[in-house]
Amino acid sequence: MKRTLFSAVVIAAASVTASAQEAPGRINLNDPNLVVVNSSVIPIPLEIFASLDKLGNQDWSKQVENREIKLDTNRSRTAMLFGLVVSDGFIAVQAQDKEAVRRIGREVLRLASSLAVASEVEQHANAIVNAAGQSDWGVCRRELDRTRQTVLNKMAKQRDDELVGLVSLGGWLGGTQALAAVLKGNYSIEGSDLLNQPDLVKQLKKDFNTLPARAKRGKVFGQIGQTLEHLESLMRADASGAISKGKVIEISLATNNLVAAIYES
Amino acid sequence: MRVERLLLLLLAGAATLLPVASLAQEAPASESPTPPPPVLDEVKLIAQRAALAHLGGEKPFILRESSWSGEIEPGQAKLVQVQLFKRNDYHFWIAVPDRRAAIHLNLYDSKGELVEATAHRYESPNVASLVASPAETGVYYLRIAVEATAKEPQRWVVVYAYR
Repeated sequence: MKRTLFSAVVIAAASVTASAQEAPGRINLNDPNLVVVNSSVIPIPLEIFASLDKLGNQDWSKQVENREIKLDTNRSRTAMLFGLVVSDGFIAVQAQDKEAVRRIGREVLRLASSLAVASEVEQHANAIVNAAGQSDWGVCRRELDRTRQTVLNKMAKQRDDELVGLVSLGGWLGGTQALAAVLKGNYSIEGSDLLNQPDLVKQLKKDFNTLPARAKRGKVFGQIGQTLEHLESLMRADASGAISKGKVIEISLATNNLVAAIYES
Repeated sequence: MRVERLLLLLLAGAATLLPVASLAQEAPASESPTPPPPVLDEVKLIAQRAALAHLGGEKPFILRESSWSGEIEPGQAKLVQVQLFKRNDYHFWIAVPDRRAAIHLNLYDSKGELVEATAHRYESPNVASLVASPAETGVYYLRIAVEATAKEPQRWVVVYAYR
Protein backbone atom coordinates (compact mmCIF):
# COMPACT_ATOMS: atom_id res chain seq x y z
CA MET A 1 0.00 0.00 0.00
CA LYS A 2 2.73 2.37 1.07
CA ARG A 3 4.70 1.52 -2.02
CA THR A 4 1.75 2.39 -4.24
CA LEU A 5 1.21 5.65 -2.47
CA PHE A 6 4.76 6.79 -2.62
CA SER A 7 5.16 5.71 -6.20
CA ALA A 8 2.53 8.25 -7.05
CA VAL A 9 5.30 10.81 -7.14
CA VAL A 10 3.99 13.49 -9.25
CA ILE A 11 5.49 15.22 -12.19
CA ALA A 12 3.77 18.18 -13.70
CA ALA A 13 2.97 16.95 -17.17
CA ALA A 14 0.76 19.56 -18.72
CA SER A 15 -1.04 22.74 -17.99
CA VAL A 16 -4.50 23.49 -19.29
CA THR A 17 -6.95 26.23 -18.49
CA ALA A 18 -9.48 25.20 -15.90
CA SER A 19 -12.34 26.21 -18.16
CA ALA A 20 -11.25 23.55 -20.63
CA GLN A 21 -12.06 20.82 -18.14
CA GLU A 22 -15.48 19.28 -17.73
CA ALA A 23 -16.51 21.58 -14.93
CA PRO A 24 -19.78 23.48 -14.88
CA GLY A 25 -19.33 27.12 -15.84
CA ARG A 26 -21.56 28.11 -12.99
CA ILE A 27 -22.80 26.47 -9.82
CA ASN A 28 -25.86 27.41 -7.82
CA LEU A 29 -24.49 28.03 -4.36
CA ASN A 30 -28.03 27.88 -2.94
CA ASP A 31 -28.56 24.36 -4.26
CA PRO A 32 -29.50 22.31 -1.15
CA ASN A 33 -27.83 19.27 -2.70
CA LEU A 34 -24.42 20.91 -2.73
CA VAL A 35 -22.03 19.34 -0.27
CA VAL A 36 -19.89 22.02 1.38
CA VAL A 37 -17.05 20.72 3.53
CA ASN A 38 -17.64 21.78 7.11
CA SER A 39 -14.22 23.10 7.95
CA SER A 40 -12.26 26.26 7.54
CA VAL A 41 -8.60 27.13 7.23
CA ILE A 42 -7.80 30.56 8.59
CA PRO A 43 -5.30 32.54 6.49
CA ILE A 44 -2.09 33.35 8.34
CA PRO A 45 -1.17 37.05 8.64
CA LEU A 46 1.77 36.73 6.23
CA GLU A 47 -0.58 35.65 3.48
CA ILE A 48 -2.47 38.92 3.83
CA PHE A 49 0.64 41.03 4.39
CA ALA A 50 2.12 39.60 1.17
CA SER A 51 -0.78 41.09 -0.75
CA LEU A 52 -0.50 44.48 0.95
CA ASP A 53 3.24 44.68 0.35
CA LYS A 54 2.59 44.38 -3.40
CA LEU A 55 1.11 47.89 -3.17
CA GLY A 56 4.35 49.21 -1.69
CA ASN A 57 6.50 48.61 1.34
CA GLN A 58 4.72 48.98 4.66
CA ASP A 59 6.22 49.76 8.02
CA TRP A 60 5.49 46.56 9.92
CA SER A 61 8.00 47.33 12.67
CA LYS A 62 5.49 49.62 14.38
CA GLN A 63 3.19 46.64 14.83
CA VAL A 64 5.72 44.59 16.77
CA GLU A 65 4.72 44.82 20.41
CA ASN A 66 6.29 43.45 23.53
CA ARG A 67 3.42 42.71 25.86
CA GLU A 68 3.75 41.06 29.21
CA ILE A 69 1.84 37.79 29.39
CA LYS A 70 0.39 36.85 32.75
CA LEU A 71 -0.88 33.31 32.64
CA ASP A 72 -3.71 32.03 34.78
CA THR A 73 -5.66 28.78 34.95
CA ASN A 74 -8.11 29.76 32.22
CA ARG A 75 -7.05 27.47 29.34
CA SER A 76 -9.42 29.17 26.91
CA ARG A 77 -7.66 32.49 27.47
CA THR A 78 -4.28 30.77 27.15
CA ALA A 79 -5.38 29.27 23.82
CA MET A 80 -6.37 32.73 22.57
CA LEU A 81 -3.04 34.10 23.78
CA PHE A 82 -1.21 31.30 21.99
CA GLY A 83 -2.89 32.27 18.73
CA LEU A 84 -2.10 35.93 19.35
CA VAL A 85 1.55 35.29 20.13
CA VAL A 86 2.06 33.14 17.02
CA SER A 87 0.45 35.94 15.06
CA ASP A 88 2.88 38.40 16.71
CA GLY A 89 5.63 36.09 15.49
CA PHE A 90 4.42 36.41 11.91
CA ILE A 91 4.34 40.20 12.27
CA ALA A 92 7.88 40.22 13.69
CA VAL A 93 9.03 38.04 10.76
CA GLN A 94 7.45 40.50 8.34
CA ALA A 95 9.26 43.33 10.14
CA GLN A 96 12.45 41.21 10.16
CA ASP A 97 12.85 41.96 13.87
CA LYS A 98 15.37 39.39 15.04
CA GLU A 99 15.06 40.03 18.78
CA ALA A 100 11.27 40.04 18.72
CA VAL A 101 11.14 36.72 16.85
CA ARG A 102 13.54 35.14 19.35
CA ARG A 103 11.49 36.43 22.28
CA ILE A 104 8.29 35.17 20.67
CA GLY A 105 9.85 31.76 20.05
CA ARG A 106 10.51 31.46 23.78
CA GLU A 107 7.05 32.78 24.63
CA VAL A 108 5.43 30.23 22.31
CA LEU A 109 7.13 27.45 24.26
CA ARG A 110 6.00 28.87 27.61
CA LEU A 111 2.39 29.05 26.42
CA ALA A 112 2.62 25.57 24.91
CA SER A 113 3.76 24.27 28.30
CA SER A 114 0.73 25.83 29.91
CA LEU A 115 -1.47 24.09 27.31
CA ALA A 116 0.36 20.79 27.91
CA VAL A 117 1.68 20.58 24.34
CA ALA A 118 5.26 21.67 25.00
CA SER A 119 6.93 18.44 23.86
CA GLU A 120 5.31 18.74 20.43
CA VAL A 121 6.25 22.40 20.08
CA GLU A 122 9.75 22.40 21.50
CA GLN A 123 11.66 21.55 18.31
CA HIS A 124 9.72 24.15 16.34
CA ALA A 125 10.22 26.84 19.00
CA ASN A 126 13.96 26.12 19.07
CA ALA A 127 14.07 26.27 15.27
CA ILE A 128 12.35 29.67 15.36
CA VAL A 129 14.84 31.05 17.88
CA ASN A 130 17.84 29.67 15.96
CA ALA A 131 16.60 30.80 12.55
CA ALA A 132 15.88 34.29 13.87
CA GLY A 133 19.48 34.45 15.09
CA GLN A 134 20.59 33.82 11.51
CA SER A 135 17.92 36.10 9.99
CA ASP A 136 16.56 33.10 8.10
CA TRP A 137 13.04 34.47 7.76
CA GLY A 138 11.82 31.67 5.52
CA VAL A 139 12.55 29.09 8.21
CA CYS A 140 11.03 31.33 10.91
CA ARG A 141 7.85 31.64 8.85
CA ARG A 142 7.62 27.91 8.17
CA GLU A 143 8.32 26.93 11.78
CA LEU A 144 5.74 29.38 13.10
CA ASP A 145 3.14 27.86 10.78
CA ARG A 146 4.24 24.38 11.84
CA THR A 147 4.07 25.35 15.52
CA ARG A 148 0.54 26.56 15.05
CA GLN A 149 -0.52 23.48 13.09
CA THR A 150 1.20 21.08 15.48
CA VAL A 151 -0.67 22.57 18.41
CA LEU A 152 -3.98 22.43 16.55
CA ASN A 153 -3.36 18.79 15.61
CA LYS A 154 -2.43 17.86 19.15
CA MET A 155 -5.47 19.60 20.59
CA ALA A 156 -7.73 17.90 18.05
CA LYS A 157 -6.23 14.57 18.99
CA GLN A 158 -6.90 15.29 22.64
CA ARG A 159 -10.48 16.23 21.74
CA ASP A 160 -9.82 19.82 22.82
CA ASP A 161 -11.84 21.11 19.88
CA GLU A 162 -12.87 24.21 21.80
CA LEU A 163 -9.27 25.25 22.22
CA VAL A 164 -8.56 24.59 18.51
CA GLY A 165 -11.14 27.20 17.58
CA LEU A 166 -9.79 29.70 20.10
CA VAL A 167 -6.18 29.35 18.88
CA SER A 168 -7.38 30.01 15.33
CA LEU A 169 -9.49 32.95 16.47
CA GLY A 170 -6.57 34.46 18.40
CA GLY A 171 -4.30 34.14 15.36
CA TRP A 172 -6.83 35.78 13.07
CA LEU A 173 -7.48 38.57 15.57
CA GLY A 174 -3.77 39.41 15.93
CA GLY A 175 -3.26 39.54 12.17
CA THR A 176 -6.39 41.64 11.63
CA GLN A 177 -5.32 44.08 14.33
CA ALA A 178 -1.93 44.59 12.66
CA LEU A 179 -3.44 44.87 9.18
CA ALA A 180 -6.01 47.43 10.30
CA ALA A 181 -3.36 49.45 12.15
CA VAL A 182 -1.12 49.58 9.06
CA LEU A 183 -4.03 50.53 6.83
CA LYS A 184 -5.14 53.18 9.30
CA GLY A 185 -1.70 54.79 9.13
CA ASN A 186 -1.32 54.38 5.38
CA TYR A 187 -4.83 54.14 3.97
CA SER A 188 -5.45 53.18 0.38
CA ILE A 189 -8.68 52.10 -1.26
CA GLU A 190 -6.84 49.23 -2.93
CA GLY A 191 -5.33 47.96 0.30
CA SER A 192 -8.55 48.30 2.27
CA ASP A 193 -10.13 45.39 0.38
CA LEU A 194 -7.95 43.01 2.39
CA LEU A 195 -10.30 43.62 5.30
CA ASN A 196 -13.25 42.42 3.23
CA GLN A 197 -13.77 39.19 5.15
CA PRO A 198 -17.47 39.08 6.13
CA ASP A 199 -17.87 35.35 5.52
CA LEU A 200 -14.75 34.50 7.44
CA VAL A 201 -15.87 36.64 10.39
CA LYS A 202 -19.31 35.07 10.19
CA GLN A 203 -17.74 31.61 10.39
CA LEU A 204 -15.50 32.62 13.30
CA LYS A 205 -18.49 34.13 15.11
CA LYS A 206 -20.56 31.02 14.51
CA ASP A 207 -17.76 28.79 15.79
CA PHE A 208 -17.31 31.02 18.83
CA ASN A 209 -21.02 31.18 19.62
CA THR A 210 -21.35 27.41 19.49
CA LEU A 211 -18.59 26.88 22.06
CA PRO A 212 -19.93 25.52 25.34
CA ALA A 213 -20.25 27.97 28.23
CA ARG A 214 -17.39 26.26 30.08
CA ALA A 215 -15.02 27.36 27.30
CA LYS A 216 -16.10 30.98 27.58
CA ARG A 217 -15.63 31.66 31.27
CA GLY A 218 -14.46 35.17 32.07
CA LYS A 219 -15.57 38.68 31.20
CA VAL A 220 -13.33 38.94 28.15
CA PHE A 221 -15.26 36.21 26.35
CA GLY A 222 -18.38 38.36 26.39
CA GLN A 223 -16.35 41.09 24.73
CA ILE A 224 -15.10 38.64 22.08
CA GLY A 225 -18.67 37.80 21.06
CA GLN A 226 -19.65 41.47 20.87
CA THR A 227 -16.56 42.47 18.91
CA LEU A 228 -17.06 39.70 16.35
CA GLU A 229 -20.64 40.85 15.89
CA HIS A 230 -19.40 44.40 15.33
CA LEU A 231 -16.61 43.31 12.97
CA GLU A 232 -18.97 41.30 10.83
CA SER A 233 -20.74 44.50 9.78
CA LEU A 234 -17.52 46.52 9.48
CA MET A 235 -15.50 44.02 7.45
CA ARG A 236 -17.72 44.15 4.41
CA ALA A 237 -16.69 46.10 1.32
CA ASP A 238 -18.99 48.66 -0.26
CA ALA A 239 -20.20 48.50 -3.87
CA SER A 240 -16.82 49.75 -5.13
CA GLY A 241 -15.03 46.90 -3.36
CA ALA A 242 -13.41 49.17 -0.75
CA ILE A 243 -13.70 49.56 2.99
CA SER A 244 -13.83 53.22 4.01
CA LYS A 245 -11.13 54.81 6.12
CA GLY A 246 -13.71 55.39 8.85
CA LYS A 247 -14.46 51.68 8.97
CA VAL A 248 -10.76 50.82 8.94
CA ILE A 249 -10.28 53.07 11.98
CA GLU A 250 -13.20 51.37 13.72
CA ILE A 251 -11.82 47.92 12.91
CA SER A 252 -8.44 48.97 14.25
CA LEU A 253 -9.96 50.31 17.45
CA ALA A 254 -12.20 47.29 18.03
CA THR A 255 -9.43 44.73 17.45
CA ASN A 256 -6.91 46.72 19.46
CA ASN A 257 -9.27 46.96 22.43
CA LEU A 258 -10.05 43.27 22.30
CA VAL A 259 -6.41 42.21 22.06
CA ALA A 260 -5.56 44.45 25.02
CA ALA A 261 -8.45 42.99 27.01
CA ILE A 262 -7.29 39.43 26.34
CA TYR A 263 -3.75 40.22 27.48
CA GLU A 264 -4.92 42.12 30.56
CA SER A 265 -7.84 39.94 31.68
CA MET B 1 19.83 20.90 -4.34
CA ARG B 2 17.33 23.38 -3.08
CA VAL B 3 14.49 21.04 -4.03
CA GLU B 4 16.18 18.16 -2.20
CA ARG B 5 16.44 20.32 0.90
CA LEU B 6 12.79 21.24 0.60
CA LEU B 7 11.85 17.58 0.23
CA LEU B 8 13.69 16.70 3.42
CA LEU B 9 12.00 19.56 5.27
CA LEU B 10 8.61 18.52 3.97
CA LEU B 11 9.13 14.94 4.97
CA ALA B 12 10.18 16.10 8.42
CA GLY B 13 7.00 18.13 8.69
CA ALA B 14 4.81 15.38 7.33
CA ALA B 15 6.28 12.89 9.78
CA THR B 16 4.03 14.41 12.41
CA LEU B 17 1.53 11.84 13.53
CA LEU B 18 -1.91 12.87 12.41
CA PRO B 19 -5.36 11.45 12.91
CA VAL B 20 -6.03 9.73 9.60
CA ALA B 21 -9.63 10.84 9.27
CA SER B 22 -9.19 14.35 10.57
CA LEU B 23 -11.23 16.43 8.17
CA ALA B 24 -9.44 19.71 8.53
CA GLN B 25 -6.13 20.38 10.06
CA GLU B 26 -7.27 23.84 10.97
CA ALA B 27 -10.46 23.09 12.83
CA PRO B 28 -11.37 19.44 12.59
CA ALA B 29 -14.96 18.80 11.69
CA SER B 30 -17.09 16.11 13.23
CA GLU B 31 -17.55 13.47 10.52
CA SER B 32 -15.47 11.03 12.56
CA PRO B 33 -17.08 10.19 15.92
CA THR B 34 -14.17 8.27 17.40
CA PRO B 35 -10.50 9.17 17.37
CA PRO B 36 -8.73 7.12 14.70
CA PRO B 37 -5.32 5.59 15.32
CA PRO B 38 -2.49 8.00 14.55
CA VAL B 39 -0.74 7.26 11.29
CA LEU B 40 1.39 9.15 8.84
CA ASP B 41 -0.88 11.22 6.63
CA GLU B 42 0.24 9.66 3.36
CA VAL B 43 -2.38 11.33 1.21
CA LYS B 44 -1.30 14.74 2.44
CA LEU B 45 2.26 13.74 1.68
CA ILE B 46 1.34 12.96 -1.95
CA ALA B 47 -0.17 16.42 -2.29
CA GLN B 48 2.83 18.05 -0.62
CA ARG B 49 5.25 16.20 -2.88
CA ALA B 50 3.34 17.49 -5.89
CA ALA B 51 3.80 20.97 -4.48
CA LEU B 52 7.56 20.65 -4.13
CA ALA B 53 8.49 21.70 -7.64
CA HIS B 54 6.68 25.00 -7.15
CA LEU B 55 8.38 26.02 -3.91
CA GLY B 56 11.64 27.14 -5.46
CA GLY B 57 12.75 29.28 -8.36
CA GLU B 58 12.33 32.96 -8.98
CA LYS B 59 8.74 33.28 -7.81
CA PRO B 60 8.36 30.51 -5.24
CA PHE B 61 5.07 29.66 -3.63
CA ILE B 62 4.94 29.45 0.16
CA LEU B 63 3.27 26.23 1.26
CA ARG B 64 0.89 26.36 4.21
CA GLU B 65 0.88 23.62 6.82
CA SER B 66 -2.91 23.67 7.03
CA SER B 67 -5.01 21.47 4.80
CA TRP B 68 -8.53 20.29 4.17
CA SER B 69 -9.45 16.64 4.00
CA GLY B 70 -12.36 14.25 3.93
CA GLU B 71 -13.85 11.41 1.99
CA ILE B 72 -15.58 11.55 -1.38
CA GLU B 73 -17.67 9.00 -3.28
CA PRO B 74 -16.90 8.24 -6.94
CA GLY B 75 -18.94 10.55 -9.17
CA GLN B 76 -19.52 12.99 -6.31
CA ALA B 77 -18.41 16.63 -5.99
CA LYS B 78 -17.80 18.70 -2.88
CA LEU B 79 -17.10 22.36 -2.22
CA VAL B 80 -14.45 23.78 0.06
CA GLN B 81 -14.86 27.42 1.11
CA VAL B 82 -11.65 29.47 1.00
CA GLN B 83 -10.84 33.10 1.77
CA LEU B 84 -8.48 34.52 -0.88
CA PHE B 85 -6.77 37.87 -1.16
CA LYS B 86 -6.42 39.99 -4.29
CA ARG B 87 -2.90 40.43 -5.72
CA ASN B 88 -1.77 37.04 -4.38
CA ASP B 89 -1.42 33.96 -6.53
CA TYR B 90 -2.71 30.73 -5.02
CA HIS B 91 -1.78 27.16 -5.88
CA PHE B 92 -4.03 24.34 -4.64
CA TRP B 93 -3.14 20.65 -4.86
CA ILE B 94 -5.50 17.76 -4.31
CA ALA B 95 -4.60 14.10 -3.90
CA VAL B 96 -6.43 10.82 -3.35
CA PRO B 97 -4.69 7.50 -2.70
CA ASP B 98 -6.02 5.38 -5.61
CA ARG B 99 -3.79 6.08 -8.61
CA ARG B 100 -6.63 5.14 -10.98
CA ALA B 101 -9.06 7.63 -9.47
CA ALA B 102 -9.32 10.70 -11.68
CA ILE B 103 -9.88 13.86 -9.69
CA HIS B 104 -10.73 17.38 -10.75
CA LEU B 105 -10.23 20.67 -9.01
CA ASN B 106 -11.89 23.94 -10.00
CA LEU B 107 -12.40 27.34 -8.41
CA TYR B 108 -15.62 29.37 -8.25
CA ASP B 109 -16.24 32.88 -6.99
CA SER B 110 -18.82 33.91 -4.42
CA LYS B 111 -21.48 34.14 -7.14
CA GLY B 112 -20.81 30.59 -8.29
CA GLU B 113 -18.99 31.58 -11.50
CA LEU B 114 -16.06 29.46 -12.62
CA VAL B 115 -12.80 31.36 -12.10
CA GLU B 116 -10.21 31.22 -14.82
CA ALA B 117 -7.24 29.27 -13.55
CA THR B 118 -4.33 27.25 -14.82
CA ALA B 119 -4.78 23.58 -14.10
CA HIS B 120 -1.84 21.20 -13.81
CA ARG B 121 -2.13 17.50 -14.53
CA TYR B 122 0.36 15.02 -13.13
CA GLU B 123 1.76 11.61 -13.97
CA SER B 124 -1.22 9.85 -12.45
CA PRO B 125 -4.79 11.21 -12.35
CA ASN B 126 -5.09 10.97 -8.58
CA VAL B 127 -3.25 14.27 -8.19
CA ALA B 128 -4.34 17.60 -9.65
CA SER B 129 -3.65 21.24 -8.99
CA LEU B 130 -4.63 24.69 -10.10
CA VAL B 131 -3.16 28.17 -9.94
CA ALA B 132 -5.45 31.17 -9.64
CA SER B 133 -5.06 34.90 -9.08
CA PRO B 134 -8.28 36.16 -7.47
CA ALA B 135 -9.68 39.34 -8.99
CA GLU B 136 -11.20 40.36 -5.67
CA THR B 137 -10.57 39.68 -1.99
CA GLY B 138 -13.29 37.43 -0.64
CA VAL B 139 -14.74 33.98 -0.39
CA TYR B 140 -14.22 31.44 -3.15
CA TYR B 141 -15.17 27.79 -3.50
CA LEU B 142 -12.92 24.97 -4.54
CA ARG B 143 -14.92 22.26 -6.27
CA ILE B 144 -13.41 18.82 -5.92
CA ALA B 145 -14.78 15.93 -7.93
CA VAL B 146 -13.85 12.30 -8.39
CA GLU B 147 -14.84 10.57 -11.61
CA ALA B 148 -17.16 7.58 -11.38
CA THR B 149 -14.35 5.37 -12.69
CA ALA B 150 -12.98 5.11 -9.15
CA LYS B 151 -14.00 1.87 -7.44
CA GLU B 152 -14.49 3.06 -3.91
CA PRO B 153 -14.79 6.22 -1.77
CA GLN B 154 -11.56 8.15 -1.67
CA ARG B 155 -9.96 10.02 1.17
CA TRP B 156 -8.86 13.37 -0.23
CA VAL B 157 -6.50 16.09 0.97
CA VAL B 158 -6.12 19.62 -0.35
CA VAL B 159 -3.04 21.69 0.47
CA TYR B 160 -2.31 25.18 -0.75
CA ALA B 161 0.40 27.75 -1.18
CA TYR B 162 0.48 31.48 -1.86
CA ARG B 163 2.91 34.02 -3.25
